[in-house]
Order: sequence, then structure tokens, then C-alpha cells
Amino acid sequence: PGPFRPSRRDQPDPSASERELHEGGEYRAVAVGEPSPEFAGNAVRTAKYSALTFLPRNLFEQFRRLSYVYFLAITVLNQLPQVAVFGRGASVLPLAFVLFVTAVKDAYEDIRRHRSDRRENNRLAAVLAPQTAGEYLPKKWKHIRVGDVVRVASNETLPADMVLLATSDPTGLAHVQTVNLDGETNLKTRYAKQETQLSFSHDGHVAGMLHCERPNRNIYGFQANLEIDGKRVSLGPSNIVLRGCELKNTTWAIGVVVYAGKETKVMLNNSGPPSKRSRLETQLNRETVILSIMLIGMCITASVLAGIWLLNHQRELEFTQFFREKDYTTGKNYNYYGIGMQIFVTFLMAVIVYQVIIPISLYISMELVRLGQAYFMGADNDLYDESSRSRFQCRALNINEDLGQIKYVFSDKTGTLTENKMEFMCASIHGVDYSSGKPACGSSVVVDDLLWTPKMAVRTDPQLLKLLNNDSSNEEAKLVLEFFLALAACNTIVPLVLDTRDPKQKLIDYQGESPDEQALAYAAASYGIVLVERTSGYVVIDVLGDRQRFDILGLHEFDSDRKRMSVIVGCPDKTVKLYVKGADSSMFGIINKSLELDNVRATEAHLHKYSSLGLRTLVVGMRELSQPEFEEWQLAYEKASTAVLGRGNLLRSIAANVECNIHILGASGIEDKLQDGVPEAIESLRQAGMKVWILTGDKQETAISIGYSCKLLTNDMTQIVINNNSKESCKRSLEEALARTKEHRVASSIGSPYPVLASESSGTVLALIVDGNSLVYILETELQEELFKVATECSVVLCCRVAPLQKAGIVALIKNRTDDMTLAIGDGANDVSMIQMADVGVGINGQEGGQAVMASDFSMGQFRFLVPLLLVHGHWNYQRMGYMILYNFYKNATFVLVLFWYVLYTSFTLTTAITEWSSLLYTVLYTSLPTIVVGILDKDLSKSTLLAYPKLYGSGQRNEKYNLNLFVLNMLEALWQSLVVFYIPYFAYRQSTIGMSSLGDLWALASVIVVNMQLAMDIIRWNWIIHVFVWGTIAATVICLFVIDSIWVLPGYGAIYHIMGQGLFWLLLLIIVVTAMVPHFAIKAFSEHFVPSDIQIGREIEKFEALNQVLSVDSYYQ
Amino acid sequence: MPAYSKFTQQELPACKPLLTPEIVIAAFALIGALFVPIGLASLHASRQVVELVHRYDASCVPVDDKVGFIQNSRTDKTCTVTMTVPKYMKSPIHVYYLIDGFYQNHRRYVRSRSDKQLRYKSAAHLTSDCVPEGDTADHAPIVPCGLVAWSLFNDTYTVRVNGVVTQVNKKDIAWKSDKNNKFGKNIYPSNFQKGRLIGGATLNESIPLSEQEDLIVWMRTAALPTFRKLYGRIEKDINANDNVTVVIQNNYNTYSFGGSKALVLSTASWIGGKNNFIGIAYLTIGGLCLSLAMGFLVLYMVKRRYVS
Repeated sequence: PGPFRPSRRDQPDPSASERELHEGGEYRAVAVGEPSPEFAGNAVRTAKYSALTFLPRNLFEQFRRLSYVYFLAITVLNQLPQVAVFGRGASVLPLAFVLFVTAVKDAYEDIRRHRSDRRENNRLAAVLAPQTAGEYLPKKWKHIRVGDVVRVASNETLPADMVLLATSDPTGLAHVQTVNLDGETNLKTRYAKQETQLSFSHDGHVAGMLHCERPNRNIYGFQANLEIDGKRVSLGPSNIVLRGCELKNTTWAIGVVVYAGKETKVMLNNSGPPSKRSRLETQLNRETVILSIMLIGMCITASVLAGIWLLNHQRELEFTQFFREKDYTTGKNYNYYGIGMQIFVTFLMAVIVYQVIIPISLYISMELVRLGQAYFMGADNDLYDESSRSRFQCRALNINEDLGQIKYVFSDKTGTLTENKMEFMCASIHGVDYSSGKPACGSSVVVDDLLWTPKMAVRTDPQLLKLLNNDSSNEEAKLVLEFFLALAACNTIVPLVLDTRDPKQKLIDYQGESPDEQALAYAAASYGIVLVERTSGYVVIDVLGDRQRFDILGLHEFDSDRKRMSVIVGCPDKTVKLYVKGADSSMFGIINKSLELDNVRATEAHLHKYSSLGLRTLVVGMRELSQPEFEEWQLAYEKASTAVLGRGNLLRSIAANVECNIHILGASGIEDKLQDGVPEAIESLRQAGMKVWILTGDKQETAISIGYSCKLLTNDMTQIVINNNSKESCKRSLEEALARTKEHRVASSIGSPYPVLASESSGTVLALIVDGNSLVYILETELQEELFKVATECSVVLCCRVAPLQKAGIVALIKNRTDDMTLAIGDGANDVSMIQMADVGVGINGQEGGQAVMASDFSMGQFRFLVPLLLVHGHWNYQRMGYMILYNFYKNATFVLVLFWYVLYTSFTLTTAITEWSSLLYTVLYTSLPTIVVGILDKDLSKSTLLAYPKLYGSGQRNEKYNLNLFVLNMLEALWQSLVVFYIPYFAYRQSTIGMSSLGDLWALASVIVVNMQLAMDIIRWNWIIHVFVWGTIAATVICLFVIDSIWVLPGYGAIYHIMGQGLFWLLLLIIVVTAMVPHFAIKAFSEHFVPSDIQIGREIEKFEALNQVLSVDSYYQ
Repeated sequence: MPAYSKFTQQELPACKPLLTPEIVIAAFALIGALFVPIGLASLHASRQVVELVHRYDASCVPVDDKVGFIQNSRTDKTCTVTMTVPKYMKSPIHVYYLIDGFYQNHRRYVRSRSDKQLRYKSAAHLTSDCVPEGDTADHAPIVPCGLVAWSLFNDTYTVRVNGVVTQVNKKDIAWKSDKNNKFGKNIYPSNFQKGRLIGGATLNESIPLSEQEDLIVWMRTAALPTFRKLYGRIEKDINANDNVTVVIQNNYNTYSFGGSKALVLSTASWIGGKNNFIGIAYLTIGGLCLSLAMGFLVLYMVKRRYVS
């Protein structure tokens, strides 16, 4: 965020919303107090389904996934009598199971939504009964309509978006907390218009016609006007209170509903996080295509061979007992349509039998695994933020594994690296620097015999304090006083008076939207200029013990174009003054430099000093307005404020007119403290091979100094600064920079044969600092390419003074040009676009509102949590997910190949010896659960090892756990194991009495044991849960085989009992499992010892260091 | 701070096996040491088995038109084969028929049966899976229906040892579970083998299906196209150099699909019939594992990497 945050953040171009109003051509006309049925009612509905629509809609939603359609197609195909491979019931089972599980999950979620909807809709609110004078009756929320007048008491939640008409405060002030809306916990001030407030206090009701814009999702914008007593009153965002907010510190408030139900701003903003797909899932598609080709290849092979067989035996078919071509009762061929058709039918049947090679269940397994991983990330105490009591949250459930492959981290500064708790540190007043702050007890004010103390005291400079308190006649002291008056008055802070335990003491709490303003108000209070009260018309300031009232005649709010705000104050001595504060760049443009050059120069020098200390600076100025000047301004201001169209622009131009010839009062320096552990976190991330870029709205100097304090920049780095004001100069400096990086590379590569690693191996490291102004000329032009080249050569990049969209542009610069994964982390509304642009967006639950969190994929409390999140959980997630996908491909391929080999001995008719129930249960039950549990629970390395050796993170960045080579290796293993599983029993039982069902049971059991043994061999950490699932699954398979063979109507009745009674069966099972596993075991043993990966070495260190410790402890005791 | 639990923090006590050189060598050596004896024992058991195989499909048909010969119900299909027993055969001696090229696992064939009909009288009409051998021309259900039953093997063997007729016991050749539960005790064959094309044996309509053991054995469809099925047992020892003469009624048509038939006399052992493969497989894998153990031992010694 900039020096101060705009009070209306994320506001779209006002002219755009006005244009929208225009184009829409229509206003919403609301008669106050007359409920109008023509607009949406206040009932909300977040539930997706009703009892009636659940089945069709849920099925429709589910079948939007391509894999389900594939599944469905196979099932439908199987229903054709000619192609039916499985029995009807059996073939529908897996699809039905999957649909059922998903439907139950959806239904459960929807019932919860229904329940919360019902609770919400049946809440009661006091609504003005029509045709009565001021009688408020309780009414359910769902029955409230646009036009109703609603009365809300303190701490109650607002039922709809309402325009305030009157409040308990005589000036029409109301405070609301918007935590439900945007996550901000501080109070916001809203006003009822004086006209309605007066009308209400006179007659007890308000009548009028309200015209407002049509419903939109802009929380920070609202335009309307109210015709009351023949007058037109304009209404703005400060006059509307939104559904979901809570009324605070205001006894009651009365408002008229303008938007209800689904048209309220909170409901319009209620969209889920954007859906992203993980890298692994995208890569998985490539393997799916390969498997599809394999599938089609197998189907073609089977059907062509079947055709050849038929061709060779064409003449024998009639008398062959096992074919029996003719049906003699009809004299026609039975179920035989000629060779061509037969090939086609065989092909379709082959598709049904072998479809399992594309593991549909994998998608469901992946979702379950991600759910489990998300649970464990959320439960991790290392990601729990003590101060905000917030846990880690997975908002997007489908990109967990991307956390293990991040190459670039883009970080916001304020609130992300820093705490966003501002503390006033020093001031430069009239060219004098006061920066030797001492802790002070703060000053208090006596009001009605009670002692009011500001909640926080800042460090005060004794010299300054002395100056203020002693000689008030002094010209210098007057300026100092003006400076602090400006700090106390020129803001939007609301002082709240809180009770303390001591009845004589009260606490003043400054509530406001900008932490900078709060810091300045507390600073003024500490020096004795205490803001005590604020209404819409005036402020009361205790000036060194003397309570004075200052009328606020006008307020020009902060906007990002002007980068300053101003108030016009009617002082007790009847003068009218303009106080301005703003960013130095905007302030020096409007200063009357000719008068006080020395002062300006000195202030500039101090500003430079402050910002190089890492402080946030503001310049404060003032001007006394003459009577004619004031009257001219007042006329324009009133006209502009009641305008409905183009009000924003009008007000801006008035502000620009009056904010000129400013007399500079001084400047302030505010410290924005670094969060805990930020330098260490950045160091870890960089060691893990990630590039950390800082994107900030702050000034170059401030950004650089923060860079130093969080150890991103060090003194031995070579800095390249790009800070230009035109395209040509940008181009020049980029070319220079490129030349320097080349030079640097050549210089450092002399000693090193690997140019890529040069920047790390050599002592000097390049740092690039780019300014937002230059980015205007670089981003989205042909210069981008060069910036990219320079930036990727540098190990540190700092971008300062960047606008929100530029942040997204920088992320896109990297994302579109490389395959590297990007992560953006931020806390404010200005980070939203960057968070959405990056592959992974992380939101910080910070001081600033919840918008970043709402847009993010993951949210957490502190920047430093990024280290355990990426290095530990990201690493695990990637590792687990990569393995799980490959394993699923492998296990299904093994099974399908076993089925395929059998086809070669059935005259290519796709009979399966394994019962159809076992073939269907294979993916659903026999092999699914262990992989899910392993995907959730297995850890290759412990948390402490991963944190101690950040380089281990590189395994994800290098795609070590999921790539084409591993896929091919897995497929070769599947090939070998299927051959073993099939052919050992084949040769052992050749020319024997073995029946189909018996042999099928052996093949099924052997495949299940082999693939589960493969998993068992790759599991790294065996805890009791994994034991239960792996061995339990094998046991469950045996039980299922027994159950299936106990059903007398199936041909395989009794087969497993019979075959298990033979010694040969057990001998075969043993040799199959061993022979199938030998290559895997040998390869594993060989590669782990002779070409160990980083992770393998980490595992050894883990195991043997613990052992060594035990040994050393043992020897110590001996 | 939320309460610490080993489960939520993923710190459950766990065992982390590592493939250290010792473990790898030990595992391979152990498997080798286990497999070689098993292999030797299996080979030994297989060698104990005495097996006589005599293929008779070609020699029992004196004419060229083999299909015509076999389909003609009036030709005399008696055929005599003589074998000399090389080694003492201990009873029980299993008599098998071995058929080659008969796809009992053909898709058309394997589903052409009605298991419900075999067990329940009321299910006699459930013949929809059995087409074209489901109903007779006048729509009466065939029991047992389907190609599997229809193609029942119908060669018969009469065995003489040294000229003396020796009883071949055909009791208890089928699985008990099939006789007790799968084939009904009150189901009698009807309309069986009455169609235009004779597939194989006829059934005695006065014997219930649960007692038709040849049918029960036949209906346990073979897994592979070359299979043997139990015909009966000779419960008498046969000495070495005894002459075994078998009079075969060569009825079954394997000629139309180019298959072959053989008669098998075999003793049994704990690994079943004669089967050298399993012993050789065990020896091969055992030997492979032993050599892998040696190989890894050498590798580890040559290129030692000190674990941490």
C-alpha cells in the first residue's frame, strides 16, 4: 500500500461506474417507507439445490467433469447386448459408487447451507409498520423488502443494504464493523444526512423518494440522491450501511432498505476463489494421452487378432462346440455378423475391459488426498498465528502440490513483510529534525472530572515537548502547534471513548481505516494535542489542556491520483485554514517554493534521511484561506457534493483548485516494523532455490532500506537501478543493465564451468531495482522481454511504487515466459490482482481487510509461515501426490496387462478369468485405500530435516518425483510384473485340470499382493495407520474373494476354497510376489546407494544421526 | 495455541526402513537360501509322479473324412490303445482326458449356461443366456441348457491291466461343493441333446444333476485351451512293465475344430501332477537372488559410499 491507504480501496475508475449508471439509463427508485415488491426480496439462498432439483442438478454438475463422461460412455456401451462384457449390475456399480459418494458429499454441504440460509432468513429485525407513525414491529429477514424502514440497535447485524436516515447521534453518526464483509476489524464511520436526521427528529419519520444506482458489487462505491421536502440531497458511500455489518457504538440507527437479498453487495461479492489447476494435474494429462494410445493399441491388437482367428477358422465355426455359429431352431446365425462386424464388436468390448488403464478413480483419490493434506496443513501448529488466533486455511483445494514446486516468490511489503502496525518515530518541523524520541507516559485530558488517556503513547522528543509547552508565543512554537493540529484534524479518525476498570479513567481509542493516520493521531496526542471528539460537522481537540472546537467545513478524501488529502477547518479564532497531508512527490508539486526555499530543502533532506531508515514519510502543509477564496470554494463544494453525476470528478477538481500555494509545515516519519522472522524466512527461501521479489508501493529509498533490513539486499551486491521517465531512457538503461549482467556472467564464469550457477557461486550478486514509473513504459511493450532477461539474471528484484495492476503484470512477465511456478503473497486489496495472477496466491490475515485472503488460494497469519508451508508441507504434498499418480497408473496398467495376456489364450474373445466383480472392485477397494492413506500420511523426510536443509526443496523444482522417465519406468515395471503374475501360473497349470475361476482368483490375488507390495516397498514411514491400511487391504481382498466364491449362482462357486487347499497355489503365490518385486528392489537398492538423491541422503542423515546421538548418549552413560 | 497431538502434527511414531547394504545382501541371500531347497523339493516331487500320455485322436479314425466319420452315428468308433508302464504306479491312479484346442474359455461358450436352472426346479425356464441351446424347437426349456452342457465329453475308456479288466472308479470325481450346492438333487435332465446337432454326451434322465459327475466336472470350464479333466480313478497299483490296454469309444468330435485328444494316466504328489516348471522356476529365481547378493556384495566393496 501507498503512504496512506485510500479510504475507498479498490474503487474502480469512478467515471466508469458513472458511465455504467448512464448506460443503464435507469435508477432504482425507492419510496422511503413503502415496501416495493418489484425488486428482489431479502431472502437469501446460498444453497445450490432443493429436494426436487437435487438429483438432476447434481448429476449435471458431476457430469461436467470429462472423466465422468468417459466413465458413463463405457457403462452405456456395456449395456448393449452385443458388447456387454460385465453384467449390467456390475458394470454400473463403480460409476454409481463414485456418483453416490460425490452426491452425498454435495448433499451434506448443501444441507449445511440450507440450514444457515434458514437461520439467516428467519432472523428478526424491527421494521416500520406501514401506515403507522413510528411503530416498529419484528419481521423476519426474508420478508423485508426494498423500501422498508428498518431500525437496528447496537451490536445487531444489518439485514440488508440500507441508506442511513437517522441515528442516535444527534449529528447522524453511526459506526459499523465490516468484519463479515471484508475482514477489517476496525470501525468505519457512516453518516445519516442532516436533512433526514432533522426530519426524523422532528416528525419521527422520513418520507421521500430515493434514486440510487442499480445493484453492483462495488463495496466501496455508492451513488444516489434523495428527494426530501422538495430538496435534492446527494448520498455517497458514507451514507450506506451494508448487509452483514454490525452496528457498533451507536445506540440505534434507522435506514431505508435499498438493496435486499441477492442484490446486496455482500451477496454479489460472494463468489468462491478462482479455480486453478495444479501443475501435476496438467502434466498428468500428457500421461493420460499416452495411456489412451496404449489402450487403443491393445484394443486394436485384440480385435485384429480376433478377426484373424475367425478368418482361419471360418469354415469350422458351424460344428465347433465352443462356437456353435448356427441356431437350428431358426436356422440363422446366432450372434454372429461376419468378420468385419465381429472385429468392431470385439474392439468395443476391449475398450470396456481395458478402460481401467486410464485410472478414473485417480481423480477421486486425488481429491481425497488433497482434502487430507489440507486438514493436516490447517492443523499444523507451526502455521498457527498466536496473535490473530488464525489457523492456516486452504481455500483452493486443488493446488496443494504446487506448493512444492515454487521457483518465484512475489511478496508485497507492507503488512506482509512488515506488521503494518505504524509507529510515529520522528518529525521534521520547519526544517528542524526532531528524532531523538524517548519513551513517554503520554498525556491525558480531563473531561468532566474524568481522565481520558489515549490508548497508545508514542516516543516523544523532549526538545519538541519543551518547545510546545514553554514558549507558546514563539514563532517556531506556533508552527509546531500548527503541525500537530494538522495531524490531529486532517484525518478521518474517530476517537472512541472506552471504559476502564477505574471509573475515573477513560481510554481514547482512535479508530480509522488507515494505520498511518492512527499513528499520527496518537503522536499528536502524545505531544498534548488530543483529538477528543469527531462528528460529521466538527472535531473537538484538546490543545495543551484547552478544549477547542474546530468546524470541519469540507474534506477532500484521499485518492490515488492526488496522493493526498485535505480538510478545510473553521478555527476557533474565526480563520479558515486548509490542512493538507500527502506523499512527498505530490506535496512538493503544490508547495509555494519561492517563499521558503531553505525550509523546503531541509525538509527534503530529512525526508531522504527518514526513508533511507526505512520509515514511511508524509509531508504536512497548510494554507490560510481568505474570505472570498473560502466562499468561492464553498459554493463549488456544495454544488459538487449534491451532484449525482460526475461527483467524484467535480470534487477532485475542486480539491486540486484549492490545494495550491501550500505552506510547508513539516514531515513525519513512521516506522513500519518487520514481522517476526522475516529475514530468516527470506534467507531460507533463497537457499531453497527460490527467487524472492518484493513489489511495493513505497518509495525507492524505503524499499531499498526494507530490502536491507530483511536481508534481501546485502552490501556485497551490485545494484542495478532502473528509474526513468520515458520510454527511450528506459530502453537505454535496460540495455546497459543487460550488458552489465553479461559482463558479470563472463567475469564470474571464468572460475566456474556452469554459467547458470555463476551468480550463486561467485561472490557478487546482482540486484535489480525497478521503479513503477519505468514499469509504465516497460510492461506490455516490447521492452518487457529485456526486463525479463535482466530480471532473471539478478537474484534479487525490488519493484517500488508499483500499482496493483503492475504487480500482476510483473507476475505475468515471469509466468508467461517460463515454466517456473510463481507464488504471490500479500495482504491488501492492492495485492488481489497479483494473487490471482500467480500460480499460487497466498493471503495474509493482517491489519488490512480480508480482500487478499478472499482472493487467495491459501491464507495464513505471518510471512514466515511461508517457510514451513513450502519447504515442509509443499515438499510433502508434491512428493506424495507425484508418487500417488504414478502408482495409480502403474497399478491399473499391471492389472489391465494381466487381463490382456489372458486374451491371447481365449481365441481373443476378451473373456476374463478374474470375475467381473473382482475386476470392478480392483480399483474401488483392492488397491485404492492404501494409496490414499499413503498420499496423506507418508513423509519422506521429517519436518526438522526439511527446515534444516532448504536445498531439499529443489526436488520439487526439478520435477524429480513426477516426470516422463519415471512414468516409463513405472510402465516397464507394470509390464514385467504383469508378465510374472500371468505367466508363472500359466506355465505351472498348463495342461492341468485348472478351472477358469480358480486360476482367475490366483491372478487377482497375486496382482493385488504384488501392487500392494510395490507400495509397501516405497513407503518411507510406517506408522500404525499405514500398517492397518496396507495389510488390511490385502486381507479385505482375500475376504472379498471368499465372499464372491461363496455365491452359488456364480460359475466360480467354491473355486478359491479349492485352489487354496493345494500346495501349488501357495508356492506360486510366493514365487510370483518375489519374482515380481526383484527388479524393483534391485533398482531401488542400486540407485539409493550408488546414485543417491538429495532426499535419500537426507533420510540417511536423519536415521543415522538419531542413531549416533543414541550411541553417544549410551557411551556417555558407560 | 491448539493442543499438541502426534496425529495432527504428523509425528506418529513410525518405523523408517532404509535399504542399507547389509539389508539388501541379507534379503537376496535369504530368498536364495529359501528358494533353492523349495525348488529341489518340488523337482523331486514332480519326478516321483508317473505319467502316461497317449494321444489317440488321429490313430482312432481310420478314414480321411474325420468329421464325417465322427458325425455318423452308425460307424463303429471302438479303438484300442496299448501302453507299457515304465515305472511302478501307486494308486490312486488318475485317469484324465486331455483336449487341446478346445476353447472352454471362449466368450460365446463360457456364458452359455444357466446356473439358476441347475439348482432350482422353478428356474427351468431361465434359458435366455443359453441361446442357441436354450429351448427346443417347440419352446420347451432344455435342462441343462447352454453350450457348456451340450458339448459334454463323451468318449469312454475301458481299462485292462495285463488283460484283466480294471475298474475305473467314477465316483467323487467332481467337487463336493458343486455336488452339494450348485447342482440340484431334484433336477433331472430334460429335452437334453435332442436338437439337430449333437454336441456330445447324452444324459440319463432318471439321474439327478447332482449325481451326474461327468457333467459337473465338464461344467467347471477350463482356464486354458489345452486342458485335462478327471475321468476317473484306478484304485489299484500298477507295476512296472505291466501292459495297459484301453478300449476307447471315440465319440467326441474334436476334428471339426482341429483339436486333439489324449488319454492320461497319472499318479499324484503334493504338488499335483507332473510339473517340472515350478521346481525350475524356484531354482532359477533362487539362483538369481544368490547371484544378486554376490553382485551387490562386490559392488558395495568396490564402490563404498559411507552412509553419512
